[in-house]
Amino acid sequence: MALAVLGFFDGARADDFLDDTSYDDQSVAVKTPDPIEPFNRAMFTFNDKVYVWVLDPVATGYSKVLPADIRGCIGNFFYNLGEPVRSANFLLQGRFGESGLTLSRFTINSIGGVFGLADAAADEFKIPRKRATFGQTLSVWGAGDGFYLVVPLLGPSTLRDFSGKMVEAVATSAYYPWNDDVETSVSVFSGQVVNDTSLHLGVYEDVKSMSFDPYVAFRNAYFQSRSKGGDNVLVPNPNFNVNR
Amino acid sequence: MLQNKFTTLVLFLVSFSFMGIIFSQSAASATPDPTEQFRPFVKKVTDILVDPETKSISKNEKGQRILNVFRERFDFREMSKRVLGQQWRELNDRDQREFEDLFTRLLQYAYIGKIEDYSGQKVEFTQQRIKGERAEVQTLLVDKGKSIPISYIVLLRGDQWMAYDVVIEGVSLVRNYMEQFKEILSKDGYTGLVQQIRDKIAQIEKEQKQG
Repeated sequence: MALAVLGFFDGARADDFLDDTSYDDQSVAVKTPDPIEPFNRAMFTFNDKVYVWVLDPVATGYSKVLPADIRGCIGNFFYNLGEPVRSANFLLQGRFGESGLTLSRFTINSIGGVFGLADAAADEFKIPRKRATFGQTLSVWGAGDGFYLVVPLLGPSTLRDFSGKMVEAVATSAYYPWNDDVETSVSVFSGQVVNDTSLHLGVYEDVKSMSFDPYVAFRNAYFQSRSKGGDNVLVPNPNFNVNR
Repeated sequence: MLQNKFTTLVLFLVSFSFMGIIFSQSAASATPDPTEQFRPFVKKVTDILVDPETKSISKNEKGQRILNVFRERFDFREMSKRVLGQQWRELNDRDQREFEDLFTRLLQYAYIGKIEDYSGQKVEFTQQRIKGERAEVQTLLVDKGKSIPISYIVLLRGDQWMAYDVVIEGVSLVRNYMEQFKEILSKDGYTGLVQQIRDKIAQIEKEQKQG
């Protein structure tokens, strides 16, 4: 495991922008293979249609009803609910300091930020958001990515990260305030997706219109964004769902 | 005796602090502060965007004006070199210049056209990292309900820090285009790539005219 941890941090360093090797032809090539590209491309097209025909119109309408500030608060609320799972993942990865900070963020924001509606921890206490997923934990434990996978409705992932996401979904549902039935959970999740989308309207189209091959562009963005490990939901959308 | 020791100590401290001043000054003149160089640049760009006078001029002219400001802080040649990777070294001088010009135009249409939506959001300079001749200037674009981290990856040219990459929410623009270009290069070769960039510029130009 110690070796795996070392390997993990080595990988993080290779992606430093100030290091010239990060611009090498070799390092740009996707390190994770994409053997089922035809399937992934089909799913990418499907997700694109879902976004353009369903999610975008709904989120646009929603953004006209609710002001941006309130939508921001709703986004914070959902993010805050995910903090205990992030903290647990940090713990499982042996990153104790970050685990503690994330847990303090949850405590501060739940109380001082009124159920997490405001991000008082970042604004007042200067504790920034930090991302930790179960997929990351699996990687620290030595599990490989498997291959690149575009999941219908959920977007870019890898075999490992998608499995991790499923585990997280079960873990969060255990303490979510609305764990009574599937219908409620699905509508709450949809609400969360619509809210996130409403805060980033137009970004997906922009990135798509600037790309030569949107499939490659979003695949590259997924891996780049993941390796930076920040809290980086660029576009909360089926094709660009980097981190939810 | 005691006084003597005291004088020596004072003298020692005084000379030591002078040394400190000299060293810190020489260090400061050796590497200028990247954030201090990018602060006025960002202000210049946002000033143009919110200036009521520029609202009336054509989109193309506005794009040109902003591009001129970008040239002060962006090294488009370095950007073009990195985005092509191996291929750049195989081009002759003329082709390199042609590609640089083409890629700059692509960025002008694709990105500089986009930042027109800017309407007075705050840009915070959060942090900087210096590593030899390279540095990262981190900023945060604070909008209603969200904030977007934007970093400039810069290189020291003489006493000027020049950007050669922009990282938005952890995604490097150069590295993203690099992977796309690499696929095109392996399929259609360099001439195919140049043609595709030309087509893309024409397409965006048309869209902007309609919009």
